[in-house]
This record gives sequence, C-alpha cells and structure tokens, in this order.
Amino acid sequence: MEPTLMILILVLVVIGGLLASLGAHLLPVGGAPAAMGTATGIATGTVQIMLGAVMTGLFTASSVATLTNNLALVALSGAIGATIMISVVMLMANILYAFGCGVVPVSGRVPVDPITKEPQTPYKTPQTDGHGVPNVVFVSGMLGGFSGGLGGALMYYALLNYAHFSPNTAGIGAMSIFVPNAIIAAYNIRGTIEGFHDPKFKRLPFSLATSFVVSLLCGIVVVIAASVLGGVA
Amino acid sequence: MTVTPAAVEEEAPAEKKLDFSFPPGETELGIIAGIISAVVVTLAALPAVIKGAALIFAILWGMDSVRKTSKYGLGTGVPSIGVLAIGYGVIGTLMGLALAEYGRAGQFYPGVLVGVLVMGGIGLISGIMSNHEKLVAMKIPHLERAMMELGMTGTLIILLECSIVTGSLNFGAVLEDVIETGVIALMFIFSAFAIFHPYNACLGPDERRERTRMVAVEIGGLICILLGFAQIVIGTSPYGILDGVSLVVFGAVIWIVFFRMFIRACFKEAYATVGTGLIKTLG
Amino acid sequence: MGLIVVLLFAWMLVIAFLAFVACTFEDLESDIGSQSNPNSQVQLAAQVGQVHRFFNKAISGEPLSNALYCATAGTITWMLLQKLEPFVPDAPWKAAVLAIPVGVLGAAMVHLIFSTTAHCGRTVAQKRFEQPLYLDVLYGHLLPIATHGYMTTFCITTIAYIQSNLGTLSGNPALNHPFALPMLGFIWGITVGSIGSSTGDVHYGTEREFQDRPFGEGKRVIYHGKITRYAECGIRTQRDIAGFCAKFGGPVTGMTFGLIILFENWRNMVGMVLAGFLPDLPAFTPTGDMTAVISIVAGLLIIAALALGNLTFVRWVRKRCGPFVGE
Repeated sequence: MEPTLMILILVLVVIGGLLASLGAHLLPVGGAPAAMGTATGIATGTVQIMLGAVMTGLFTASSVATLTNNLALVALSGAIGATIMISVVMLMANILYAFGCGVVPVSGRVPVDPITKEPQTPYKTPQTDGHGVPNVVFVSGMLGGFSGGLGGALMYYALLNYAHFSPNTAGIGAMSIFVPNAIIAAYNIRGTIEGFHDPKFKRLPFSLATSFVVSLLCGIVVVIAASVLGGVA
Repeated sequence: MTVTPAAVEEEAPAEKKLDFSFPPGETELGIIAGIISAVVVTLAALPAVIKGAALIFAILWGMDSVRKTSKYGLGTGVPSIGVLAIGYGVIGTLMGLALAEYGRAGQFYPGVLVGVLVMGGIGLISGIMSNHEKLVAMKIPHLERAMMELGMTGTLIILLECSIVTGSLNFGAVLEDVIETGVIALMFIFSAFAIFHPYNACLGPDERRERTRMVAVEIGGLICILLGFAQIVIGTSPYGILDGVSLVVFGAVIWIVFFRMFIRACFKEAYATVGTGLIKTLG
Repeated sequence: MGLIVVLLFAWMLVIAFLAFVACTFEDLESDIGSQSNPNSQVQLAAQVGQVHRFFNKAISGEPLSNALYCATAGTITWMLLQKLEPFVPDAPWKAAVLAIPVGVLGAAMVHLIFSTTAHCGRTVAQKRFEQPLYLDVLYGHLLPIATHGYMTTFCITTIAYIQSNLGTLSGNPALNHPFALPMLGFIWGITVGSIGSSTGDVHYGTEREFQDRPFGEGKRVIYHGKITRYAECGIRTQRDIAGFCAKFGGPVTGMTFGLIILFENWRNMVGMVLAGFLPDLPAFTPTGDMTAVISIVAGLLIIAALALGNLTFVRWVRKRCGPFVGE
C-alpha cells in the first residue's frame, strides 16, 4: 500500500473520531430524567441516540457509495441521513410532549433562548431541569446529527475505498471505531447535556483529546491490517 | 382504596448457603480464562466444543471486568462498556487475522495474539485517558486495568467465534463465511450482551457475583447453539457435520443447566417468591 | 424503465409501512416490559419503599436489545434461506415466506430468555427493600412481551430482506443493497430501538407512570420513584399500560420511524429518477454523482422544513399553554 493512502486512511479515521466526539456533545441528551419530563432533550442516552442516527447515516452512505466514489458526496449523504433522523425524532418528541403530557418545550440551562430570544424560565416547572426540545436545542441537535453522520460516513468511505475493504467489512469496521469514540464522549458528558449553550459543552476538549488518541491508534491498526492484506479484504 | 395486606412477609428467609460458587477471585479468573482462551484461539484445528468452552471462559472474564467497573457508576449505564469492548474486539480481530500468517505452523496461529495484545494496549491507553484527572476524569478505581482486560477479552471472544464458525483463522475464509454473510452482526451484538447483560440484569444492592456469573455462562451456551447452527450451514469444518452438532448439544446442555440454576437461585434468594399477591399497603 | 421505477416506488412504500408497524409495536413492547429510561423509576420504586407489581425488564437500552433480536432473526433467516433457496431455484422469494417467520420465532425465544433473566435478577437484587418476586407477574408478562417483540422483529427482518434483495425483486440485481441481511437487521434494529426509546417512552414515563400526579407539568424530582401503583381497578401491572400507550405514544413513535424511512428512501428515489440513473444504473459516472447531489439537496430541503415546523410548533404550543401557573 502506498504511503499517501495510509496517511489518507489515518487522517479520515481521526477526523471521523473527532466528529463523533463533537456530535455526541452537540446532541441534546436528556437521559432517563427526560423520559419523565424532568430534563431537556431527547429521552435516551448519548450512545443510544448517537448510534441510531449514525446507523441511518451509514445505511444511506453505503447506498450512495454504490453510485458514486466521490468522497464529499458519500460523506454528505451520510450526514444528511443522520440529520433527518435526529430532526424527525426531535419534532415528534415535541408533539408527544405537548399533546401526550401537556408539557411546553423549555430549556433549563439558559433563561432566554439564545437564538429566538424567547423567555424560558417562566414556562419551566419548578424542581425540574426543563423539558421538551426548544428551538436552540433543536438547532444544536441538528448540528450534532450532521457531525456524527459525517464522521461515520468518512470512516466508512476511508475503509471502503482507500483500505479496499468490502462493504460489509467497512461497515462493521467503521462502526467499531465509531462506538468507542461515542462512548468516551458519553463518559465525558456524564448524563445529560443540552447542546452548545450548556456549561458542560466546555468539557469538549478533554473528550476530543482522548478521541484523537483512540482513533489514531485504531486507525494505525486498520492501516496495518489493510497493508498486510493488500486489498484482499 | 382497600387492599388486603399481602400474605407474603410471613417469615424472614433464613440465611441461605450459596449453591453455586466458582472458586477463583477476579484476578485468578482473569489469568486462568486468559491463558485458556489464548491457547485455544491459536490452535484453530481443535474441535468446536473445546473452542466453545474457551469462549465461555473468555465471556466470564469479560463479565467480571464489566462488573468491577460498573459498580462505581459509569454515568451512561452498564451496556456502553460492553459495546466498547466488542468494538475494540472487532478491530483487534481484523488485525489479528491479518497477522495470522506470520509464524504459522500448520493450524497453529500464534500471530493472532498480536491483535489481542495491541487491543489490550489501546484499551489501557483509553483507560488511562478516561481516568486521568486533567482529561475525562471518570475517577473509577482500576478503570485502566478493566479497559485493558476488556480490549483483550473482546478480541479473544470475536476471534474464538470466527474460529468456531470457519474452522480456521485464514482471513479469506473468515471474510467469506463470517463477514460477507453478516454473521459478524450476530457475533458483535451477542458477545456484547454476553459481557454486559449479566451485570445489567442482576444490578442492585443485593447483587451476588456467583449469581451474575450463571447468567454469563447461560448466554455463552446460547451463543454456542447459534454458532453451531451457523457452522452446520456454512459447512467448512474439517470434522464434518458432527462438529457443529456437538457444539449445539454442548450449548444446549450448558444453557439448560445454568438457566435452571439461575432461576432456582433467584427463587430461593428473593425476599419472597409468591405465586401471586397484592402489594403491601402503606402504613 | 417504467416498470423498475414503479416497482421501486412500491417497495419503498411497503418498507415505510412496515417501519410504521415495527416502531409502534416496539414502543408498546418496551412499555409492557418497562424497558429503557422509564424503568429507572420502576427500579427506584422499591428503594423509596413502594413495593410494586411491575415487570422489570432491564435487558439493556432498547437500541441494543432490538439489534440483538433483529440480528438473531436475520441470522437464522439467512441460514434457512441458504438451505431452502435451492429447492425453489426459479422463485427464491418463496423460501423467505417460511424462513422469515421461523427466524423471528427464534429471536422471540431469545427475547423471552433475556426478559426472564432480567426480571428475576433485578428483583432478587432488591431483596433488602422487601420486593417479592411475584410469579404471576413473571409468567403473565412473558407472552405479551414476546408477541409484541415478534411483530417488531418480523417487520424489521422483512425490511432487511426486501432491502438486501431490492434489485432482484424489482428486476435489476445491481440495485441490491451491499450489506448482508443480518447486518441490515442489526442497523435497523439499533435505529428502531433508539427511536422507540427517545420518542415513545415519554408518554409512558411522563404520563402513565405518574398518572396520579398533576397533568401538564414535567415530573418533579420529588416524585421520582413514587410511581402510580394502583390501576383503574385493582393493582397495576404493565399489561394495563399497553392499552393506554397504544392510543397515542405507540402510533406517534411508529410515525417517527415510518417518516424517517420514507424520507430517506424517497430522496434517493427522487435523485435516481431526476438524474436519469434508472434503468441503466451508470454507477461511478457523472450521472451517479448527479443522483447523489439531487438526493442531498432534497434532504436539505426536508431538514429545513422540519426545522421550520419545530419553530412554528414550539411558538404555537407556548402561546396556547402560556407560562407555568402551578406552584
């Protein structure tokens, strides 16, 4: 295998890992409290919603990779797929909160929505940390889905077209590198996060540093495997 | 609302003796299971039953590592760390299989162990970084060691499963029979469950290690059944169909024995096991 | 040309419909078994002194457990297809009619085993809170769990079968998805679980689990663990919950997954038709690139519409409900 290809694989895998970490921090994750309307965000864990979005993106990216071998198009298709998934989920969750539980979407971390300037505090139930998916959180979630889907699709593309793995191998390999990155980001978040306006978002660099090292090492392992096999896989 | 008090709390259950205890402590079990599964994984010509037994040991080791880490609370639930282990395991398997041809003698593949060791190293590094005060700062005692062990067990489990299904550790064979057919998806998720489900299912203040381990062995039996069928369908074993059938029988026996043992232990150790009954009214 | 487009469009609608059914039943199944996030309250209830008759199905998060059932069903289906397809060489789909239900049956057994270990293990580990193990709760919930899980897994496995054979079924094998059947089952299993856990559980966790608390507010931390233990008549078990959530939470969850699948496949179809990709499938040419570009643009339009929809909806619901008026 040529050195340029090796470096390309490494770079794409590392960028994918960093994007996975960034995406996990941008997604509005309410965890278990959100299922009771006690916290803002999507009512599930970071890893769970991240995997759901990225799997949708990976499916689209793998479909598109059979039509074209343009890096930007494959990666963007994956990113758009993940964004559509997360946007539909957030909109429908809001509908469920409003009509099923009578709860108004409100952020618990900021008194005023930074984007639409809507007041938040008067609408919040006391003793809770917000509920639903208000607009600033929706925007953050869209960015998070985009970033995570882009990361997954980049890794898939690198393994498919530069390491010359088969689609199935590339899919499971991309997922296997993606999962540790998302999980380490989830450990960094510890529970719930609302998005880029959340104070916890400032912890992002720690997670990025860890993700960088982990994806770099995983990328080196993949490069060694691919170069020993020489395109058999 | 009138609800008659339940007739459940008639007598406090007496101290019960443990009816399943597996002697080694965490460290000894790690060493024993690691050596057994590492030796078996290099000898690809062994019959599938022996590989299945080694697989169960590897699962026990992984479950113990998950248990000692998750006791302190991870913040994202127990399952995440099991999936992390298997994610590392798939990467390590790719590397181990790529290096399998080096130092190979017949059906003896010491080269695959490089993948195991490398993933142990990556697990150690990610453990150090996750636990470091200036980085993710999870502050979980011995997280470094547990993550290293999880990287190693994950790789050993996936390698053993590939070896069971294909009967060899040739990358071409594994690619054709395991990855292209999609059996890798089953391996990925079932092995992850074998590692994290026992502790997740038995979580609580009165969790007991022996009981938790029964679940791990029982899931190991289920994996053996499914992989045995997969091996029969793919039909690449050098021992013919008997190899797969014996693995299915082995898995079924293990599953029945340990599932019954677990359910009996639960019925016996619960606060009370009652056919039916109403809940205690307050006050 | 015409036939392939019509067939592809028809299969896309079938897949979207199956997705709707799959996610509806996924949400109801998780409510019957009390899986995922609202289960934290069932777990907490005994610890705050509220002994209950709920089923504690802590298998794992819903995405992983659904991926388990769907990957198992996919693998067994694949094995049976390998063995059965040689008998019907001229119409391989006939093998699927037998293989998919049997494969899903295997997955349902696995589901039952894991549900049993999870309920027994979690209940026994709460010995010191005096939570008994009710056998009628254990046995009585297994069948509803298995049947609802069967519906989910069946629909997902069928989707995976259709997608991995899409080209064969509509006349051009080059359109088959590159991933194998168990792999697609795994992917859609993760997605269906992640949607079921993030959308549908809200109806169970916020409303049904705390039905004796005030409506129209987030559940305060002080209520946590104090779940509603009495049903409309008698003591509540989780079989009472499915009927309630089936009226709103389940269908909305189903619609979420159905919409996602519809949008994803529809924008690819639009790209293929508008760029002239069908029926010759000139992959890796400018036409292929154009297909991807059009589908990305269509996706961006959908995202913009969704964001605008959320903006309008949030503004409307805030205006209708007004600020918080309780204490």
